[in-house]
Amino acid sequence: MYYKDLIKMQRYPHSWCPGCGIGSVLKNTAKVLAGMNLDHTNTIAVSGIGCSGRMAGYLNMDAVHSLHGRALTSAEAIKTVRPQHNVVVLSGDGDLFSIGGNHFLHTARRDPDITVVCNNNEIYGLTAGQYSPTTPKGTYTTTSPKGCKYEPIDIHGILRTMPRYFYARSTVWHVLHMQKCIQEAIQWKGFAFVDVVSDCIEINGRHIGYKKASEMFAMYKEKYKIVRDVEVLGPHDLGVVKKE
Amino acid sequence: MKTLLGGNDAFFQGALRAGANYFAGYPISPTTEILTLAAERAEEQQDFHFLQAEDEIAAAIAVVSASLAGAKAFTATSGPGFSLMQEAISWGYRVEAPTVFFESQRVGPSTGAPTFPAQEDILQAMHGAHGTYYPLAFYPNSPAECYTLAVTAFNAAEEAMQPVIFLCDGYVSHLYEPVDLEALEIPPAVPRSRPPLGTGKRHFTGIAADEEGIPRTGNPQVQEAWVRKVKKRNEEVAKRYPLYEYKERDSDTLLISYGSTSRVVAPLQERFSHFRPIRIFPVLKEELRKACEGYEHIVVLEANDGQYAMLVEHAIGREVEKIPLLGGKISLSRIKEPLKEVLGVELEDVL
Ligand SMILES: Cc1ncc(C[n+]2csc(CCOP(=O)(O)OP(=O)(O)O)c2C)c(N)n1
Ligand code: SF4
Ligand SMILES: [Mg+2]
Repeated sequence: MYYKDLIKMQRYPHSWCPGCGIGSVLKNTAKVLAGMNLDHTNTIAVSGIGCSGRMAGYLNMDAVHSLHGRALTSAEAIKTVRPQHNVVVLSGDGDLFSIGGNHFLHTARRDPDITVVCNNNEIYGLTAGQYSPTTPKGTYTTTSPKGCKYEPIDIHGILRTMPRYFYARSTVWHVLHMQKCIQEAIQWKGFAFVDVVSDCIEINGRHIGYKKASEMFAMYKEKYKIVRDVEVLGPHDLGVVKKE
Repeated sequence: MKTLLGGNDAFFQGALRAGANYFAGYPISPTTEILTLAAERAEEQQDFHFLQAEDEIAAAIAVVSASLAGAKAFTATSGPGFSLMQEAISWGYRVEAPTVFFESQRVGPSTGAPTFPAQEDILQAMHGAHGTYYPLAFYPNSPAECYTLAVTAFNAAEEAMQPVIFLCDGYVSHLYEPVDLEALEIPPAVPRSRPPLGTGKRHFTGIAADEEGIPRTGNPQVQEAWVRKVKKRNEEVAKRYPLYEYKERDSDTLLISYGSTSRVVAPLQERFSHFRPIRIFPVLKEELRKACEGYEHIVVLEANDGQYAMLVEHAIGREVEKIPLLGGKISLSRIKEPLKEVLGVELEDVL
């Protein structure tokens, strides 16, 4: 299977901005699915709402574009009714942690066998640049013109309070690593979360000192390091932490 | 054989009879028994799925999603939970997900009088959610009817490919009556028609999209065509269920009531004509017009301040008299004063 067979090319040109990290997340998810022979016969995609929430609809399989914040609940119910299928959620940081924060907590706790790939661009892209729960403290956004006052949410920390968990962090620059993380997440029996640090060049990047997406990618390369066999990830460590 | 059956219980049995196999909910009076029954059922029966969700938002999303995944899915709640479910219900209309939302009313607004019955969410059942859609809602007045109408509700949902609201109230939910389920006439269950998730390359989206699921937000014709399609289907299905009860007496007065109020005013039905809508939405316009012809007085008695009365006025094009029963006490004694005021008759004289 070729990864492009898993993308609805008839929907191109797509709706994302040039240089947006979402393309990388979608493409690399499709590559992993193709490599694992996962297609419309055995896999269902689910998204919430946001620029990232448009991803499921571009996969060439039954896709559910649910409501803002509700992708996880939707996915869990689908997995219950279609237990033989892989259910993959593709959504954004605002969707999954803000309006969907309560569902995140409870879905993770119930531990259904679903995979979540979060395009974490640390901003509300679709609604034009308000701070999200993952926006770093001090960052300019349209609703924090003097810098975001709050510390970001610690998803890795929250998941590590669960008796069983799978958390992976990668970036849109580290594509092979991202693929490995997504593949391992799909293989994990239970709630598997892949946090992909990603860019929103148009609405966020340009306002915080980056002229082009490539400059943000260079920053990811510089700032984030892949680590192996650790129990805890530092704030800029990339890798997988899990507990059976 | 007759067994003693409560309204909630009967609705749940009816849902099973209709083939329901997915329930998600959150505890709230006066429907919690249904949640409990569903939990027990899931323990006994592997192909029945149950989720006690973290809130009604999750429950409603789960129900619509389970329907897309192929289940016959339903939930049960009352006013406060129903309000939280509205966004998902709106989504359910757009993605054409047959589902049943059981809403047993209690006194509001807000927490109100949680253990006392009301009929205050009639308009919420009609258009509590956002956007253009066409509601279908039924409202029984006995446990036996909870059972039969449950099957009707699931069937209508499947035929119209949309959420159906099953209205109830605290009295009917907790009214226990001997019922012989075997003796009831039950329509055959309509099977699921749309192939479940995981069998195609479809896109189920809340966005204004074409029949392929491709967003067409810049094209008003696409959305308009969708509205016309679902409106037509809703009307066709509603026509199959023109459910009401009309008792004609030699009287210049027609009383209109439904749900538990129709049970409470039953003694008045010997003296006055009575109309009881069972299909609440779409409003039984033709049936009401016909029934209301020739009466000097048309009196709507309901446990809210004129919500259905307003719809009756709209349907028949004239004003009606209203007897609101507010605060959670639906009883004959409370009708005494208004009856004198509106019709100039003493309650004792008509009993
Ligand atoms: C109930 C509701 N509230 C608000 C919105 C508006 N809205 C759409 S997307 C979005 C934020 C999305 O942020 P994120 O998940 O980070 O996605 P991104 O666009 O950054 O990929 C908001 C607030 C909505 N669609 N629904
Ligand atoms: S607004 Fe940001 S997140 Fe949305 S498509 Fe553009 S770059 Fe991507
Ligand atoms: Mg975002």
